[in-house]
This record gives sequence, C-alpha cells and structure tokens, in this order.
Amino acid sequence: MTFDWRPTLKRRTRAAAVLFALWATVIEGKLAYLQVYRHGDLVARASRQQMRTIDAPAKRGDIVDRRGRVLATSVDADTIYAVPSEIGNPDEVAAKLCAALADCKHNERQALADRLRRQRAFAYVRRQVSPDEKRRVEVLNLDGIGFIKESRRFYPNKELAAHLVGYVGIDNGGLGGIESAYDTQIRGKPGTVLIQTDARRHAFSRTERPPTAGSTVELTIDEYLQHVAERELHAGVAENGAAGGTAIIVNPHTGEILALASEPTFNPNAYRDSQENERRNRAVQDLYEPGSTFKVVTASAAIEEKVMPVSTMIDTNPGQIKIGPRVVRDTHDYGVISFVDVLVKSSNVGAIKIGFKVGTERLGRYVERFGFGRPVSPDFPGENPGIVWAPEKWTDSALASVSMGYQVGVTPLQMVTAVSSVANGGELVQPRAVRAIYRDNRRYVVQPKVVRRTINADTAAILTGIMEDVVERGTAKAAQIPGFTIAGKTGTSRKLVGGRYSHSEYNASFVGFLPSRKPAVAIIVTIDSPHSSAGYYGGAVSAPIFKRIAEAALRYLGVPPTLNPAAPVLVARDSDLSRTPTATSGAAEPVVSLIADGPADALPDLRGQSARDAVRTLVKLGLGARVSGDGFVVSQDPEPGAPLEPGTVCRLVLDRSPVRRRPGGASQP
Amino acid sequence: MEPFEYAVKKDVRNNPIVREVDEARQRELWKSVGVAGFLVVVLLFSAWQHFELLRHGYQVEELQRERAAEEEISRRLRLEIETLKSPKRVEALAIGKLHLVAPARDEAIVLERVVPADPPAKTVVARR
Repeated sequence: MTFDWRPTLKRRTRAAAVLFALWATVIEGKLAYLQVYRHGDLVARASRQQMRTIDAPAKRGDIVDRRGRVLATSVDADTIYAVPSEIGNPDEVAAKLCAALADCKHNERQALADRLRRQRAFAYVRRQVSPDEKRRVEVLNLDGIGFIKESRRFYPNKELAAHLVGYVGIDNGGLGGIESAYDTQIRGKPGTVLIQTDARRHAFSRTERPPTAGSTVELTIDEYLQHVAERELHAGVAENGAAGGTAIIVNPHTGEILALASEPTFNPNAYRDSQENERRNRAVQDLYEPGSTFKVVTASAAIEEKVMPVSTMIDTNPGQIKIGPRVVRDTHDYGVISFVDVLVKSSNVGAIKIGFKVGTERLGRYVERFGFGRPVSPDFPGENPGIVWAPEKWTDSALASVSMGYQVGVTPLQMVTAVSSVANGGELVQPRAVRAIYRDNRRYVVQPKVVRRTINADTAAILTGIMEDVVERGTAKAAQIPGFTIAGKTGTSRKLVGGRYSHSEYNASFVGFLPSRKPAVAIIVTIDSPHSSAGYYGGAVSAPIFKRIAEAALRYLGVPPTLNPAAPVLVARDSDLSRTPTATSGAAEPVVSLIADGPADALPDLRGQSARDAVRTLVKLGLGARVSGDGFVVSQDPEPGAPLEPGTVCRLVLDRSPVRRRPGGASQP
Repeated sequence: MEPFEYAVKKDVRNNPIVREVDEARQRELWKSVGVAGFLVVVLLFSAWQHFELLRHGYQVEELQRERAAEEEISRRLRLEIETLKSPKRVEALAIGKLHLVAPARDEAIVLERVVPADPPAKTVVARR
C-alpha cells in the first residue's frame, strides 16, 4: 500500500502559510504602529538624537588704528564647566580644580564646591581661562568636568588708548569707549548651525545660518602718536606730582583725534582690577574751569565784533579789579598794556575789561559758537556737555568770571576743538575718533563734518598772531620748539574743593597748534593738581609736556621746520624701467633720516608696490583700481600727487621688472 | 486463478530528438538578466552614492574643524605679533637692551620734498 503524502503536505503548507501570514501581519502591524501611530514622537526622538543645534556666536569686529594696527581683537578661549550630577566628591574636585587654576583663593574654592554640590546639569568652573590653566585642568582627567570655547577680547597694547578703545564684559558686551559706543556694529549677529550626527555623535552633515561677523572699526588715532602722548603725559604727571591729566592731539582741519591720553590709566585686559577713577576718560568726562585758555574766546568775540582794535591799550593798574564785593587780581601789576599783551601776559584784569566791552549777550553767543555747553563728538556717548550758564542769568561778576575762563565747565576735548577752529581759519570741525567702518568687506569712510563757522578767517589770523606771541614772549616760552612757529595759550585755574576755590589745588593747561601758519596738529595738555617745585602754572607745568609731545609728533608726521628750513630736496622722476633695483641703488639718496611726503589728500606713489599692496592702498583711500599686466606697479594714472576724489578709478600698469622707488619713499614714517 | 502481473518495458530512445532553441524565450531571458543586472547596478550605485555622501560629509566636517582651528591659530599669532609690536614694549627693549636713544632735534632733519611735474609729452625736452 502506498502512502498518499499529498494531503499532509497540503495541510502543513497551509499551516506554514497561516503562520507566515500571522508573522507578517504582526510585523506589518508593528511597522504601521511605529511608522504611523508613533510617527511624530519617533521622528522627534530621532531628531533629538541625530540633530544638534548649536548657536554660532558672531566674532566681535576688530578695532584698529588709522594704519590698521590692531588695538582690540577677539580670540577663542577655553571655559571650564562642570556637570555637578556626575561629580561624586564635590569638595575633593573643587580642591583639585582650585590647585590647577591660577589665583584661586580659599573663598573661590568654597564657592566652587558649593556650586558643584548643587545637583544641576551645568555649572561654570571658570570662564575664559589661559591655555596653561586649561592644560593643568585637562591632565587631572576629572569626571564631570568639560571645556567649551568662548570668544575673549584682547587688547595687545594693554593700556594704550584704553580710555578711547574701552573694554568689554565677560559676555562680550561693550562697557566703555568705542567698544560701547559702537557695540551694535562691532558685536555682529549670531547664527545657528544644525548638525546631523551618527550614533557615535560624529557630525557628518550640517545646515547653517552663518553668523554675521561684527564690523571692524578703524579709529582716527595713530598708535605711535598715542604712545608718545601717553608716555609724555605719564612722565609729566609723575614729575609734577599731579593727580592726573589729559593730552589730546587733533588734526584741526579734519577733526580727527590722533591721540587721546588720560592719566591715570588702566589695562582693559584686566579692567576688573582697576579703579573707577582709572577707567574714567578725563578728556571727555571731566569738567574743569579752563582759566586763561578761555581768554581766546573772549578775544575772538572782541576782534570779530570789532569791539576794540588789537592796538587798544588797556589799563590793568593796579593789578586788580573790584567787581562788587569781589576782587580779581593779576599775578603782577602789568600797568597799561595792549590788547595783545592781555593775552600774552595772561592778564585777568585786562580780560575782564575786554569782556565788559564785549558784553553778556555777545560773549554768550561766542561761547555757544565755539561749542561749549553741549557734547561736541558723537563718538563719546558718555561725553560731558559742560556747564555754561544762560547769558541772561549772567551778573557782572559772572561776566567777569567767564571772560577769564571761570564759571564755565568745559572738557579738554571741547577746549582743543575750539582752538582748532582758530587754527583752521574759523571753522568748528566736529572732533571724531572713528575714521572708517569695515562692513561686508567694504570700507565706509566717516567724512569730516564742519559744524559751523565760529569766526572769520581774518579774526583767526589775528588770533593766531597773538597766540604766537604768547609762545614767543609770553607765558608759554617753555613750549617753544626751535624751527617752528607755535600758537598757544596757557591756562591756570583754581579748583573748586568743597564748594570753594582752593588755594593749593589747580588745573594747569596749555592748548596750541603748530606749525602756526600751516597747522598740522592742535594739542591740549591739562594737568590736574600739580604739586612740584615747578609750580602750578600752565606755562611751567603743561607747556613742557606739550613741547615734548609736539616735537615727537612733528618728526613722526614729517612736518618740515617753518623757520629757516633746510633747502627742499628736488626729487627727480625715474622712468627707466630697464634697471632693476639693487641694494646699492640708494646711493644717490639724500642723507636725511626723514622726508616729508605729499599732502595726505593726494594720491600716493604706488610705483614699485605689488598689485596687492597697491590695490589695498587704493581701497583704503576709497578709490577704485583697474590693473593690467603682472608683477609690480610701473605706472599709474592719475599720477602720484593728484588730488584725491572719491570714486576715482586708478589705472595701474604692472611689469615684472619693477620701477625703482623714488629716493626716500621707503623711509617715510 | 492467481492474478497475473506483468510489466511492459519499452525502451524509449530520445537521443535522436534534438531540443530546439527557443530564440524568443532566450531573448526574454537575456532581457530579464539585463534588466536585473541594471537594477542591481542602479542599486549598488545608489548605495555607493549614499556612502560616498556620508564619507564626504565626515570629510567636510573634519576640514571645517581644521579650518576653524587654523583660523583661530592665525588670530592668536596675529594677536601675538601685535603684542610683540607694541610701541611701549619695543621702546623699552630699544632703550633698555639695545641702549638706543631717540634722535636729538639736530640729528633728525625733516626736509620738504618737491617733485617736479612731468614735462608735456610733446616737447623737445621730453623727446631727448
């Protein structure tokens, strides 16, 4: 009998099919459950595991001087953090960390241990540590301790221009100076980065909204001039045993502040270690009664309004004047002196008599015209506007006080701005500290702004002559620099201490410009409370500091002497392209250390420069460039020395055999 | 009577039968193989692409990290250069270590430079 296997096979096949169908149904069901029912939940969980969103903080823009030298920049620094829930013994960990960190005292260790004891997900150990500190903590290999990168601001020149540049807080927000005034532009905009990671948390794909880097701010100051101003001011303050002082160098034609020094100063890299007194920018925040330097305003009003000719003789006998119950004295009885000598000898009696002739209304108008009583620059948001009484409220005593520079509160920046307007022929130019802003690889130049005309050019010329006499034969002989004509005015004023004028505390100042007939710079030096054998007068205390600063500035700027100057050097053009420059080719150069270049508002000589350098120079000047050939610049159109006009396109022809530079061109400071 | 059983054995010889090749079926077969091969290649290409994308993703991430690190090093070096070039430091070194002194007033003369204008292009002088 044969066994019929077919029904058995059929049954088993059916059973297997049913089982397979059931298995498939379960699988499909589970799939449907995961893919449909729990779709949203699982997608979210996957995203959480695979995707990481990281904030990409924007780098703060740099702050550079007028020659592109870095004054403030940001680099990444390590911040040490802890995950307290992963730390077993907070006290032990805190002790180890504290030993590895610099300057960790008992209090900080205690505070750190307290933070680690709190069962939180995150706690800072110390922010923005040095690379050495990071290395020391790293080798400890502690559980629950990690590192993150944060941007940290550095000021490579430390105290240099600290008051002007300012400083930033731990969260990179500007807290002072330009850092604060231009914070929104320097800060930039943060972005976000969406990173896809694998099971090992290794990133393999990213989508980013990149951060917008902060703008770079180019200041008007020159690093070297700033250094000179700070060096000489510091020395002057120390020599005179003074409480502090300021020195400002300004280009009187453009209002550009070339240097602004304030003493005492601080290191912005460690601003927390400094006192509030050190961080205060005295040049724009401190008010002082200018004293005799203000007589320039009184004299301006008298000359401009033709109240009295400068040849007028004024009787200052007997060296004092009575205004009501008040008596104002001169240092000496000068007798009958001319209008000019009132300023030259700095006679208070003479100034009061001129002031009375000018009158309240007119003098008040000139005080306002010269920019006193209101902020003069937009680059210093914390600038003190000064104190000027409304002229209608002036009594005779007040008019007398204002005429000789009392009863008005001014800042050194206001004073030098006012004198700059005399230097430039009568225009009040807004002083500014920002020269240009670099945004999206473009340079936006801040144009000079003439606020108003203070006096006409003739009055300015007369005043310049009088101020020259002050230096030549008056109270400021200590400011003389052989070879240069200097116009200036000294000032000495008693300080108000406890609501009364002190007999021991003075402000000594000197403000002037030079060369007086073609001014390159205007400089003010104010010294607060000098106490030395030199005395307390502006002519003895501030004028020598002015002289030292001015001498270095003139040499640095290449300003030739105005009195008995050496014969100008006639520089021949050299268009022989066939000659290659050699080390000895400079033999024909004149034996001088410095040679004055063309005016700053003229196209520079780009010949001999590489294409990159030449284009960079042109872009900095706001000009376009069209380049042909390769190698070095052999010719340019417009020619060197041509006046600068915004938007001009300069054609540069390059060649492999470079043209020889003009003698002295390379030694330009 | 006992049942009679017998079997007929017939010797069937099919050697002379020649299997005829079905051309149409053969074509179909090769077509199917071709399509399957193509699909496999497409699948492999797609997989290769996917893995290459992943590999490049890792590479791009690595390069971006390297670039960020290099940029940071560059910034640090620039900061160091600027710190070393600080006028205060340079002056201290010049005076203290090299014993240099600032030039006196008579030692540094600033001369005015006068550059004559080019002669007109078509003059006799210019042609010489």
